Amino acid sequence: MSDQTHMQAEHDLAPGDEEQHGVGARILGYVVGLALALLLTATSFFIAGTDLVWQPSIPVALIVLAIAQMGVHLVFFLHITTGPDNTNNVLALAFGLMVVFLVVGGTVWIMAHLNQNMPPMDQIMQMRR
Amino acid sequence: MLGKLDWSAIPLDQPIPLIAGAVVLVAILGVLGWVVVKGHLPYLWHEWITSVDHKRIGVMYILLASVMLLRGGSDAIMMRIQQAVAYQSQGYLPPEHYNQIFSAHGTIMIFFVAMPFVIGLMNLIVPLQLGVRDVAFPTLNSVGFWLTATGALLVNLSLVIGEFARTGWLAFPPLSELSYSPGVGVDYYAWSLQISGVGTLVAGINLVTTVLKLRTKGMNYLRMPMFCWTTLASNLLIVAAFPILTATLAMLLLDRYLGFHFFTNEAGGNVMMFMNLIWAWGHPEVYILVLPAFGIFSEVVSTFSGKALFGYRSMVLATMAICVISFMVWLHHFFTMGAGPDVNAIFGIASMIIAVPTGVKIYNWLFTMYGGRIRFATPMLWAVGFMVTFIIGGLTGVLVAVPPADFMLHNSMFLVAHFHNVIIGGVLFGAFAGFEYWFPKAFGFRLDERWGKLAFWFTFLGFYVTFVPLYVAGMLGMTRRMQHYDVAAWRPWMLVAAAGMAVLTIGVICQIMQLVVSIRNREALRDRTGDPWDGRSLEWATSSPPPVFNFAFDPDVRGEDAYWDMKAHAQQQSLEHDLPEYHDIEMPRNSPTGFVCAFFATIMGFALIWHIWWMVILGGIGAVATFVVFAWRDHDEYVIPAGEVAAIDRVNIEERRNLVSMAGAV
Repeated sequence: MSDQTHMQAEHDLAPGDEEQHGVGARILGYVVGLALALLLTATSFFIAGTDLVWQPSIPVALIVLAIAQMGVHLVFFLHITTGPDNTNNVLALAFGLMVVFLVVGGTVWIMAHLNQNMPPMDQIMQMRR
Repeated sequence: MLGKLDWSAIPLDQPIPLIAGAVVLVAILGVLGWVVVKGHLPYLWHEWITSVDHKRIGVMYILLASVMLLRGGSDAIMMRIQQAVAYQSQGYLPPEHYNQIFSAHGTIMIFFVAMPFVIGLMNLIVPLQLGVRDVAFPTLNSVGFWLTATGALLVNLSLVIGEFARTGWLAFPPLSELSYSPGVGVDYYAWSLQISGVGTLVAGINLVTTVLKLRTKGMNYLRMPMFCWTTLASNLLIVAAFPILTATLAMLLLDRYLGFHFFTNEAGGNVMMFMNLIWAWGHPEVYILVLPAFGIFSEVVSTFSGKALFGYRSMVLATMAICVISFMVWLHHFFTMGAGPDVNAIFGIASMIIAVPTGVKIYNWLFTMYGGRIRFATPMLWAVGFMVTFIIGGLTGVLVAVPPADFMLHNSMFLVAHFHNVIIGGVLFGAFAGFEYWFPKAFGFRLDERWGKLAFWFTFLGFYVTFVPLYVAGMLGMTRRMQHYDVAAWRPWMLVAAAGMAVLTIGVICQIMQLVVSIRNREALRDRTGDPWDGRSLEWATSSPPPVFNFAFDPDVRGEDAYWDMKAHAQQQSLEHDLPEYHDIEMPRNSPTGFVCAFFATIMGFALIWHIWWMVILGGIGAVATFVVFAWRDHDEYVIPAGEVAAIDRVNIEERRNLVSMAGAV
């Protein structure tokens, strides 16, 4: 069991199993990640309430900041990298994203059509008037 | 004190479930009594109940599935008899009882027969095929099994305490909401699926990790046997899809328990959302079931044709394509709900596209057989029977994938015939093929061929006699789930279907006879070499049954069909190697965690169903405490000394040498 795990470990690592950096380097990584995450959060709260920018751009800015936040979490806390030791994690992430996209996107699309075509009876009666 | 539970929960006025319950109870008590009196209890506890060995857990999964198959099959017999006699009369089953029976039949057959059967086979075989010693998380594996058993227990409990859902196997709201189903039936349904769903998810995570992370030397992805690939695809689908089921049922439960309005008619609830979500799980689910069956057929067809699997890479590609496309077709289950032509057309086309990779697989199996030296042993019969049956089921599936046709056939007996055609013809035939094929590996002796072939022919013919009439009845306009009917044209077809059910029952009896006869003749049927079928993949490289550590060494894989290559080399070199040097092997210790955890989960599930809140807390604390105790364990592995490994392995090597030298002499 364990010998096989070690053999595989050269090629493919689970999150948290990275090759041994010093403790200092790893703490630094987490601190940088925390700082970036806090910065992005603070910016989001600031942007949401500010009138310094063109108002319609605020939702776009919030979406961009949210995606950046996800990126920071993936890189600094979940240790997703592009290295060859990370193929499984990246593939799992891609598969998860794809399923979420299909199910959530499909649901939104289907439900929009259903709600339009099949409203409750009282709404149909109102449309008749 | 006891919530909604009182003496009225026991259906004293309904003789059928009471008698059935009494018979089951007597049987269980009888078996338990026999076990205790004969002193087998310590053996059962140490070797099976607390076992974390993937082979033992796999066998227990299959045993659970087989027992539940008999339960679900009895429901099927009752339904077919009801529809045969209920022409212009009420038949012998009152509507509320009939509705419970068809709901229980569907729930049991999918969740507690098909799922445990395929998960059991995957558990049993995949680590052996990958050449490793256990799954990635052995104790978690045991937890998964016992939670599945908890779900099955709760469903069966509903037979005598309270009632089961009367809503069909997916409990569609608003019928399943509190206003229309005030009893405990839907709660039995939902909680047993929630608990067994956790078990299934755990099994899925475990098997995905096993295939991705534990493979022996040289076992690249593209050298894995086909069954490992389909296991990977199927378990990826479990991990992706089962959370949707859990979330959907959780919302239904919130509606029922805490007055939420996700799916109610009032207060902005949206019933259509339930259909959407449940089928976003439900369609991947059918591929979760059938993909492992495809893997089993790939192994069986290749072994019994004496050829490598034709188009291995196209098979891998088709498997993964199905894995992805299965998430793009779920709307075809509710074409008629009114999403409109755009949405229906897209999902209709996607549903037809998913038939393409399946077609690729069929051709690959046919070409594997072409030019092969085919042996029609029982597993191969199931495989060929599957190909014929599944093509018919697939074609009717493409037919109902056309939205206009579906508007005619939706909820008709045609649909019932279609999905039984693919699930029996695909999943169940696959499970039986795998059962016959790997039984010698699991237990060390073959199954009786004569009874096996009888079982196949009765099941195969019985299937057609039962379900072809249902196609016809559907075409004649008969809808599903009818407790009685007045249309004369349907009657003859229902009578034929009931006769078919009798033939199917004979098939099941033959299967039981096969087991009895084989166990009685086990010495004559003994498989000494561990390779009874002249197999091609690594599970045949070890003895039957395999030692607890599976392989004395990590097998070294040099290509596809790993064991076939090894045999070819060994025959050239006539196994002249010196016996290799053995090492100590570390194996995971047995753990009662799974059983104890499921014990508390059962208490908690039962208490939730009956609103006994102090008992819910008790069960919850117990389950969590079990995990905490397990997490703080000190020793989780034990060592099998090299000497013992050598002693076990040498016996098997000797048997194989004898076989080779005998073959050489001939």
